[in-house]
Amino acid sequence: MIDKLLLLLLIILPLIAAVKILIIFRKFPKLTEAAALSATLLNLLLAIILFKSEIRFFAPWLGWGLDFSLRLYHFSAFIILAIAGFSFLIALYSVVFMRGKPCLNQFYVYFLLTLAFANGVVLSDNLLILLFFWEGLLLTLFGMIAIGNKNAFQVATKAFIIVGITDLCMMIGIALTGYLSGTMAISQINLPLGGLASLAFILLIIGAISKSGSMPFHSWIPDAAMDAPLPFMALIPAAFEKLLGIYFLTRICLDMFRLNVNSWLSILLMIVGAVTIILAVMMALIQKNYKRLLSYHAISQVGYMILGIGTAVPAGIVGGLFHMINNALYKSCLFLTGGAVEKQTGTTNLEELGGIGSKMPVTFICFIITALSISGVPPFNGFFSKELVYDGALQRGNIFYIIAVLGSFFTAASFLKLGHAAFLGKLQEKNNNVREVSFSMLLPMIVIALLCIVFGVFNYLPLNKLIGPILGESRLGGHNFSGFPVNMKLVVVSVVVLIAALLNHIFAVRVKGSAIKASDHIHHAPVLSAIYDRAEKRFFDPYDIGMNITRKISKVAFLCDKAIDWIYNVLIVKLTFAFTNEIKRLHNGSYSMYLVWSLLGLFLVAAFLVH
Amino acid sequence: MYSSLILLPFLSVIALNLPFRNLMKKLAFVVCLLVLLVQISLIVCPSICIWSNDLDIFGSFLQFNFAVDNLSRVMLFCIGIVLLAALFVQRYIIDDEERIFNFVNVLLLILIGMDGIVMVRDIFSLYIFLEITAVGSFILIGFNKDVDAFEAAFKYIILSVVATVLMLSSIALLLIVSGSTSFSSISDALKTSPDSLLISSAVAIFLCACFIKAGLIPFHGWLADTYSAAPAAVSVLLAGIVTKTVGAYTLIRIVNSVFGFESSINSLLLVIGIISIVIGALAALGQRDFKRMLAYSSISQVGYIILGLGCGTTLGLAGAVFHLFNHSIFKTLLFVNSAAVELETGTTDMNGLSGLSKKMPFTAMTSVVASLSAAGIPPLSGFWSKLIIIMALWMSGFYVYAVIAILASVLTLAYFLSLQRMVFFGRLKEDSANIKEAGLGLMFPALILALIIVAVGLFFPFIINTFILPAGNILGG
Amino acid sequence: MSVDIIILFTFIMAALWTVMTRSLLRSAIGLALTSAILSIIMFRLNSPLAAVFELSVCSGLISVLFISTISLTHPLTQKEVLEHMRERLARFWLLPFIVIVLGITLSLIDIRPVIKLPLPETVKDVRVVLWNLRQVDVMGQIIILLTGVFGVVILFKERVKK
Repeated sequence: MIDKLLLLLLIILPLIAAVKILIIFRKFPKLTEAAALSATLLNLLLAIILFKSEIRFFAPWLGWGLDFSLRLYHFSAFIILAIAGFSFLIALYSVVFMRGKPCLNQFYVYFLLTLAFANGVVLSDNLLILLFFWEGLLLTLFGMIAIGNKNAFQVATKAFIIVGITDLCMMIGIALTGYLSGTMAISQINLPLGGLASLAFILLIIGAISKSGSMPFHSWIPDAAMDAPLPFMALIPAAFEKLLGIYFLTRICLDMFRLNVNSWLSILLMIVGAVTIILAVMMALIQKNYKRLLSYHAISQVGYMILGIGTAVPAGIVGGLFHMINNALYKSCLFLTGGAVEKQTGTTNLEELGGIGSKMPVTFICFIITALSISGVPPFNGFFSKELVYDGALQRGNIFYIIAVLGSFFTAASFLKLGHAAFLGKLQEKNNNVREVSFSMLLPMIVIALLCIVFGVFNYLPLNKLIGPILGESRLGGHNFSGFPVNMKLVVVSVVVLIAALLNHIFAVRVKGSAIKASDHIHHAPVLSAIYDRAEKRFFDPYDIGMNITRKISKVAFLCDKAIDWIYNVLIVKLTFAFTNEIKRLHNGSYSMYLVWSLLGLFLVAAFLVH
Repeated sequence: MYSSLILLPFLSVIALNLPFRNLMKKLAFVVCLLVLLVQISLIVCPSICIWSNDLDIFGSFLQFNFAVDNLSRVMLFCIGIVLLAALFVQRYIIDDEERIFNFVNVLLLILIGMDGIVMVRDIFSLYIFLEITAVGSFILIGFNKDVDAFEAAFKYIILSVVATVLMLSSIALLLIVSGSTSFSSISDALKTSPDSLLISSAVAIFLCACFIKAGLIPFHGWLADTYSAAPAAVSVLLAGIVTKTVGAYTLIRIVNSVFGFESSINSLLLVIGIISIVIGALAALGQRDFKRMLAYSSISQVGYIILGLGCGTTLGLAGAVFHLFNHSIFKTLLFVNSAAVELETGTTDMNGLSGLSKKMPFTAMTSVVASLSAAGIPPLSGFWSKLIIIMALWMSGFYVYAVIAILASVLTLAYFLSLQRMVFFGRLKEDSANIKEAGLGLMFPALILALIIVAVGLFFPFIINTFILPAGNILGG
Repeated sequence: MSVDIIILFTFIMAALWTVMTRSLLRSAIGLALTSAILSIIMFRLNSPLAAVFELSVCSGLISVLFISTISLTHPLTQKEVLEHMRERLARFWLLPFIVIVLGITLSLIDIRPVIKLPLPETVKDVRVVLWNLRQVDVMGQIIILLTGVFGVVILFKERVKK
């Protein structure tokens, strides 16, 4: 009983804290911060206590299989723990970062609501409940972006529309799944693919990968990076959305549907993953803003996870899941370093930065560790998960492997450029007084950076303890993926690629004369430059394309609408009011008149019944 | 046990009018509150009534032949709730001790009347209790003693007398047929005796009397004037429960227990119901007075109840009872809010009101809840009852009626939205800067009622299985 | 027999007074009196149940209603009354003819119920009828009268003061 209460507390506790902040602590920023910190800390403790336990909570609700059921087991406990950890660290970071900013109160309310909904999504064992929390996340997403700077509202609308549409797809998918399987309980669904089930699968997948920010549902993320508050970026697109999106994707692929190697849906997923990797990283390469560059990487890295899970072979799936947690770690840390730079120098524009590494040594070291991780340098965690994904991709087809490795090359190149341009090189004069950030901002970065190393060197910890059980013994088939990669050919190729990226960087810097222009030779390459130009002008933004089409359709619809409007607004209203006025005229207040009506009514009724 | 529901208020009235009037005047409100709370708690948990044994002393020489089934229980609960709301409203609006005392006396008498109506199983006793309620309501309508109130009271009494006379003549005719006035014997006699002009006309006359009492079209003339001219608390009382008990409940009970669901009666009920729904809604759309609009909306909503009844199935009956309950709650809430608006702004003319939600956010919010429930927006309680009624119609094969009922709920939404927009939303008028939220005395009943609406909507599966379907199962009993 | 004749005569006189008197209030009281006498006749005809109904309904309830209603109106002056009567005559001169025609038509149509009327009930003491069979109704009527009294007190007492 008590553990069931604790389970509910995971959802209720942040909710209560949010409500408290909203209503009581409105005017007291200190109390707000304290409440947010203590709520996230308690949540973390709860997650640790409940880790390793298996709990089900069930309360009948609407009937017809729509019940409020929660389920905690190894997979969800893992995600819950990760979410709790990130939310505590980022809350700690935000206390300093957000201090004195407007909308502080709202930020923490959305923060805690997001935490509650995210816990709800992970725990729910009923598709309808899941959908409920999922939509809750959509609202807080909108709110969190909207409290940023002046443009933020437009970006928030963009995010809301994109995610809203994909959520709609997911909603249909959920209805279809429930119809096909006859139950809404996630743990009882087990459908073979094919026919309608494939459609349901695709619809659900759209919801999941859109949440994780994959192409083609990504275009709000780079915009949000510029306009939304920075802890939002570290929390939601970098950590939460990856965790939740990939969590749900894995549930769909492994539990709810039996995705196998022979299915065309597996190929489809791999294509989505590969395209996301390469296109997003190409965009990242040419960015000249710290946060925007990171945001494209946030998209690109999702590609590896989707590619890994899409392979439907054990190595790929394990790699994808491992990459999910690794990416959440180093990506949120990278965003945090970005935030530290922004806090101290007031800008994230690379042209105005440079040489601050000596001024902010701890931040710089954290950046180096995480940058090495994301580029896939051994022995950091990113290396191991990428190797696993490569392994899985190679088993399914050379082309996927090549794209993945190419993505790795560009990733390394762009981080060399970023680190060089931001932290090394000549110090700009106005940055002379820059100092290291305060301890409570450093602590989250240090903890996460250390975790990156731990997860790399002792990779059997996450792989055997956390990820292994998700697939189960039978699916793993006796493989042990921990330790140093077995396939040395892959390692050699990876190292060669990394060295190539380094050489490319040194060459480019020497030719162009500055780190920030290190990617210009790719940017201005013959065919690429035309594509890049259009991409920068948002020619390929699915949102803008969709909006353009919508605008044209709406013009046509407007004409039809006017005609229908006339029927509704003019004809029906006029008729209604004609009736209404006639009725009003008849009610002249004379009781003798009313008596006459009653008697007439009596005669009619009598005549009707007697006939 | 249930006879105490009659005796307790009766003894309270007597006790209040004993000597020590000055003391009693102070106690009146508390006594009435207690009586109503006792009634509600008796219904909610019958096991707590410790006095059931003590009152056997009365039972030894008072032989009240009351029968209480699930339908009666639902009604008794509604009566308790709505009278409580009316009591609070009156207490808040009027400070004068003497007037509160008078009001409480009449309220208790009306309570006796309505409790009697829902518990008796004899057509003549039914008539007697209807009369108690009618006379009491008449007094309360004229309570403020201004010209409008007297005119409304006069209209009410005239049409009420007509209904009375009709009912009496019908009882006389039925007495010829059966020789007794209890429901069961009349029902038996009607089943055994051949269909004749006499019986048909008795049925028709009785039904018309009920239609007048329920304010269905075209028997509704008294209703709008009465509701809008009566004092606020009395509007709450009349719209919330009196009309429903004396009209809708009586109709349900009589058709169910005495006349039986014959096809001709069913189709009569359906026709009257649908006419009331549509014309009531259309008339409401044209009103520019808060309370008048609510009055016409009442006609329309009672139409739904009758429509459910007209299905003649268990589900339809359950829907009718459920809608009766819901309508009692949300209409009471709306009238309580109209009382708040009238008290704060001094008018109920919607043209003179605007943007009150800024000054009276609580009232505005609860009104929205009640309006949405009335318009049948899920997951509020009104949605479920309308859904049940429409489902019952559909399953009985009355497709046309079902479609009209659905379309009419759009009209409901339209007039409630226009009410919300004109009164609560929009720009605040400059001269209304001094308006403030009504006091706790009005907010408390409004809050309770709004909570009931939301809770019943959310816990609908529990409610339907525990209360509503059992109430529908009285079919033919 | 002679008693019956006297009662019937009184009955007719009371009825006539009810119709002829010009004061509405008196007219209502006359109505109550008429129905009271009617119930005595019913008792004499061995129909106590009907008698009790008649007594309770007409002299009890309806009278209360009528008296309360009439109290709301204000009395007309003598001139107005005459004018009103004249106007009424002009409006309703057709009414007697309609009544006669309707009566003749109805007498031609056989509307007597084909059902078997119940046997005349056995003689019951009025006390038995009132107390044992109609206990609720008696109680209800007491309450109605009480309500009526309240009505008069609440609505009209202060009016008189003014």
